[in-house]
Order: sequence, then structure tokens, then C-alpha cells
Amino acid sequence: MQWLTIYKKECLESARNYRWVWVPLVFILFCIMDPLTTYYLPQILESTGGLPDGATFNIPTPPAPNVFMMSISQINTLGVLVIALITMGTIAGERKSGVAELILVKPVSYSAYVTAKWAAHVSLVLLSVFVGLIASWYYVQLLFGDVSFIHVMSSVAFYVLYIIFVISISLFMNTWTKIPGLVLFLTISVILVLNLITSIFSHLLEWSPTSIVSHLPALLRSGEVGQNLWMAGLITILSIIFLLFGAIQTLKRREIV
Amino acid sequence: MLLTQNAIEFINDNLAIIAPLLIIQVVLMITALVSLIRAEATKGPKWMWALIILFINTIGPIAYFIFGRSQE
Repeated sequence: MQWLTIYKKECLESARNYRWVWVPLVFILFCIMDPLTTYYLPQILESTGGLPDGATFNIPTPPAPNVFMMSISQINTLGVLVIALITMGTIAGERKSGVAELILVKPVSYSAYVTAKWAAHVSLVLLSVFVGLIASWYYVQLLFGDVSFIHVMSSVAFYVLYIIFVISISLFMNTWTKIPGLVLFLTISVILVLNLITSIFSHLLEWSPTSIVSHLPALLRSGEVGQNLWMAGLITILSIIFLLFGAIQTLKRREIV
Repeated sequence: MLLTQNAIEFINDNLAIIAPLLIIQVVLMITALVSLIRAEATKGPKWMWALIILFINTIGPIAYFIFGRSQE
């Protein structure tokens, strides 16, 4: 019951901040920008006059799955930044302003407080990512050719795990410090370092959460979920549970001191 | 003259493709403005945020939603 109350309170706060409107819109913009600019690239080059007279330059149209991957990599950079920005103050800010104490003196368990906040942010962000990628799929279908809807949906299902992982990192960092800016910095640094390590040792770390994205092009083309992708998904789910558990434990210790 | 004619022709031909992009940008801008007008206080002067939302495409409304709203 109390879990549902906190969840509803978080959703209401998101509504008061107009987040239910602007976050989905921004994700749709991020996702459709790349298919559109790729499609209109010849016209854009022509109108800016980038090519000298007589130069012929054939721009091959990229295959449809590659264009869809452009949208995903856009979410991977700008989208992750937006996610980190909207989650950076969710616990840290409340502890700073004293709202967290107001809530936690009532018989509310720490685990309910953390997981309800997590669930509220996950619902908002998942809705946005889903809407954005559907819009991207629509444009790819319209402008570049066929991509199977089922392949797209299974890729989105795995990609969404990575996004939940990002939210969990941010929530975990939220319990460590009371400064929202520092939460943002720590979250982005952890993701950057993870990406770096995964790409350097890519042959060793095929199950790392950040490697999910590199498995997606194959899934989009063939529709077959490889063993590495299954394992990466499993590792991601385990890390999410571990991060949430860690967040609850840290918060407990911080509040007593 | 020739250029503007070309541009109008181009927009006419591709309106169905570009329209959603423009509509989303306009809706985002309007939501940000409504939120700005209804807000009691913002970080920094309101007229500054109004200019940012109106003249900086896409990034302006996002910046307002993330940094402009004061948590009272």
C-alpha cells in the first residue's frame, strides 16, 4: 500500500513538472532526427553548396537496420544524458531539502521508498524510449525499406534493459551524496568508463550490460537472439537488482548516522 | 527568388514527412511556455527563459524544463 502511495506521489510530481509531456516528445525528436537527415542528405548538401562544380558524389542509401541503429545510438548519448539529468535529484534533492526525512519518519520502509521511486522513473523513461523508437521504426519503414516489426520489438526489449540499468546506476549514486550535480557526474562517468572497458576488452566482456547495444544489429537483421545477448541481458538484470539492493543499504546507513 | 520557389516546392512535396517533426517542436515550445507562465518563480528572470524557449530550437525548452524550474 505505502509502496503504491510513493509511486503515485512520484508520478504526480512528474506530471506537475510536465515530464509526461516533454520527455516523450524529446525522445521522439532524438529518434526521428537521424533517419530524416540521412534521407535528406543529398538535398542538404545541395542547398549548402558543399560540393564543387562537376564533382559527382554518390551517397549510398544505408540499409534500413543501420538507420534504426542510428536512432538507438542517439538515445545512447543524448537520451542517457536526459535520463541522468531528470533522475539526478530524485533522492539526493529530497535529502538535501529535508523532504526525505519527512517521508521516512512515517512507517515507510527504505526499500519501498527506493523501489517506488525507481519504478516511477522507469515507467516514464520506458514510455518515452518506446514511443521514440516506434516513431523511428515508422520513419525507417517509410523512407528506407522493410525492417521486421518483431525484430524491432525484440531489439527494443533488450535495449530497454540497458536503459533500466542506467536509471538504477543513477538511483544508486543518489543515495551516496546529497548534491544532484555530483550524482549526474558520477552516473555519466560510470557509464563512460563501463563503455570504455567494454569496447577495449570486447572479446572478453561480451556479457557486459553496455555490450547489449553492439549485439543489436545482428538481432535486427536475423531476428535470432544469440547466446551472448541472452547472457548480457541476464547480467544486466542481476546488476539492476544488485544496484537497487546497494542503494537501499546505503540509504539505511546514511540515515542512521 | 528561384531559391525560395525551390524551397516552397520542396516543402510542398515533403510536407507529409516533415510535418510531424515541426508539430513536435511547436508542441514542446508551447508546453514550455505554458509551464513558464504558470510557474510562480523560476531560476533567473522569466523574460530570459521566454526568449530562450522561443528562439533556441528544441534545446531551449529542454533547458528550461531541466534547469529553469525552481523547486520550492
